[in-house]
Amino acid sequence: MTVLRALSATGALWLALAGGAWPLPSDAAAQTLARGHEDSRRIVQRSPKGAPAGARAAPQPLPRETVEADVSSRAIAITSAFTGTEIVVFGSVINSRQPSAEAGYYDVIVVLEGVPEPVVARRKSNVAGLWVNTDAFDFESAPSYYAIASTRPIEEIAEEEFLEAHAIGLDYVRLSPAARSVIRTEPAEIKNFKEAVVRRRQRDGLYLKADYAVIFIGKSLFRASIALPAHVPVGPLTARVYLFREGEVLSTFQQRVRLEREGIELWIYWFAMRHPALYGLFTVMIAVIAGLLASAAFRRKAAA
Amino acid sequence: MHIYLPIAEMPANVLLFLGMGSAVGFLSGLFGVGGGFLLTPLLIFSGIPTPVAVGTAAAQIVASSVSGAIAQWQRNNVDIKMGLVLLAGGVAGSVIGVQMVRILRLAGQFDLFVALAYVTFLGVIGTLMLIEAVGAIQRARTQQQPLLQRGSGQHNWVHRLPLKMRFHRSKLYISAIPPLAIGAFVGFLGAIIGAGGGFIMVPAMIYLLRMPTNIVIGTSLFQIVFVAGLTTVMQAAENYSVDVVLALLLIVSGVIGAQYGAAAGARLKGEQLRLLLAALVLLVCVRIGWDLVATPDDLYSITTSFGGAP
Repeated sequence: MTVLRALSATGALWLALAGGAWPLPSDAAAQTLARGHEDSRRIVQRSPKGAPAGARAAPQPLPRETVEADVSSRAIAITSAFTGTEIVVFGSVINSRQPSAEAGYYDVIVVLEGVPEPVVARRKSNVAGLWVNTDAFDFESAPSYYAIASTRPIEEIAEEEFLEAHAIGLDYVRLSPAARSVIRTEPAEIKNFKEAVVRRRQRDGLYLKADYAVIFIGKSLFRASIALPAHVPVGPLTARVYLFREGEVLSTFQQRVRLEREGIELWIYWFAMRHPALYGLFTVMIAVIAGLLASAAFRRKAAA
Repeated sequence: MHIYLPIAEMPANVLLFLGMGSAVGFLSGLFGVGGGFLLTPLLIFSGIPTPVAVGTAAAQIVASSVSGAIAQWQRNNVDIKMGLVLLAGGVAGSVIGVQMVRILRLAGQFDLFVALAYVTFLGVIGTLMLIEAVGAIQRARTQQQPLLQRGSGQHNWVHRLPLKMRFHRSKLYISAIPPLAIGAFVGFLGAIIGAGGGFIMVPAMIYLLRMPTNIVIGTSLFQIVFVAGLTTVMQAAENYSVDVVLALLLIVSGVIGAQYGAAAGARLKGEQLRLLLAALVLLVCVRIGWDLVATPDDLYSITTSFGGAP
């Protein structure tokens, strides 16, 4: 992205220079210049993975594509009836040059990520016939939830370096090992622990991957629906949308999704966290009253 | 039908947990045990995070024990003095136990310790009870004297300790040290494994203190009410792991189950009760033990700091 921004800035500079050099600089001419610059860059850095058929654009005076996106609900309320939900991330490619929805001219990757939280990974080994946790590895942070959807497998869309730098894909989820764990663990072992975190979370339905889940509905409109399981840890989510063409990122978009307790759920949680001892006493009181009520009810029944 | 649990952060099937609560409540009323040793593993098997299962089970134990204790009280089956001595020990043990939970969790050995404690105690106690109950039933058939009849000449080491107290209701004159120690041990273990400890206390009172079986059940329930109540408050305050919504589901169904259990218990003979309890204890023991020795499908596991706990 930074590279792209820098290049756009250069383009703007070109424009200014062009404006100064030629007496009648039309918008179209300026765009041709900017466009031409971008195209030349693409030729130099053309992705070896290849692009879908029909992707080769003739150098025309066309405006740059950008992506605009949003989520179906920016605030998800966790109430007592919450049993998971689905977040639809939809968006549109502005200045789309795609002839039809099926053309595969653009690639889109959608990442929905939860808050980072500390995680401990442990490994069992057999000690005298029993399976015991013998090794542990601390992560300063791992996303509580991570879902990725794309128009096709992400390895075909972008270079590994890019995916890694932007934490796109289950192989590149941002897991920060704690220094105290790193110094006493072999690099190969660290890899095993990292893979274990992703694997366990995948099994729990908290890390998801769906190739081909981003679908173009028209020339510019796309959508992806991502499952949010009922046991998703409560906290804000971030949706990131990347628009690619031929391995190059053209535009990105980011949107926050609030995931919050509401109503009685919020009240109980607040009570339990702010006044834990009082909350404990309250729970015991409910238990005692319930026990007494049941006794009284049954005694009356027995007496009758 | 589902309801979202605010602390466990997951939806729960209302009918499943109501069923679980009433089944455990029934057994609790029947045997005079809190039922935690059944409820905690059941909650964990159904997907509730271990700390929440342990913390919330304590709240349910309070409810089912209150209603069970009152049912026993009405039959004059509670030795208050003995209960208070056990309780004094239990409070001390529980406080130490909750601290121990934190140390074990930091070391990553909490689950192992819980499983080992369950297997050891359930295994030993279940086997002893099974042998004794089978023997008692056989003797009853051949019209012999039961083993547990106390005569004036029957004194073991328990009766030679100092600090003697008279327990009128149990018809005992023994040292206060064994009940204190039993209470402390049960309180300690109860805090760690999320059980009131009735399954340990009941046999200890029968075989070590030689209390009459009918008094044992009422007294054990009386003591459990207070220890489980204290444990609930401490689990909420220290580990933020008590889910009041889950507790409510288990409590409502548990107290009703406990009443039916107590009524059913009154119609069964002591040795039959002990045989059934022994079988149940061994069943849970085998189930937990299996997970310790069977090769796990994934050697790795991950844990997060729980809820808003620092």
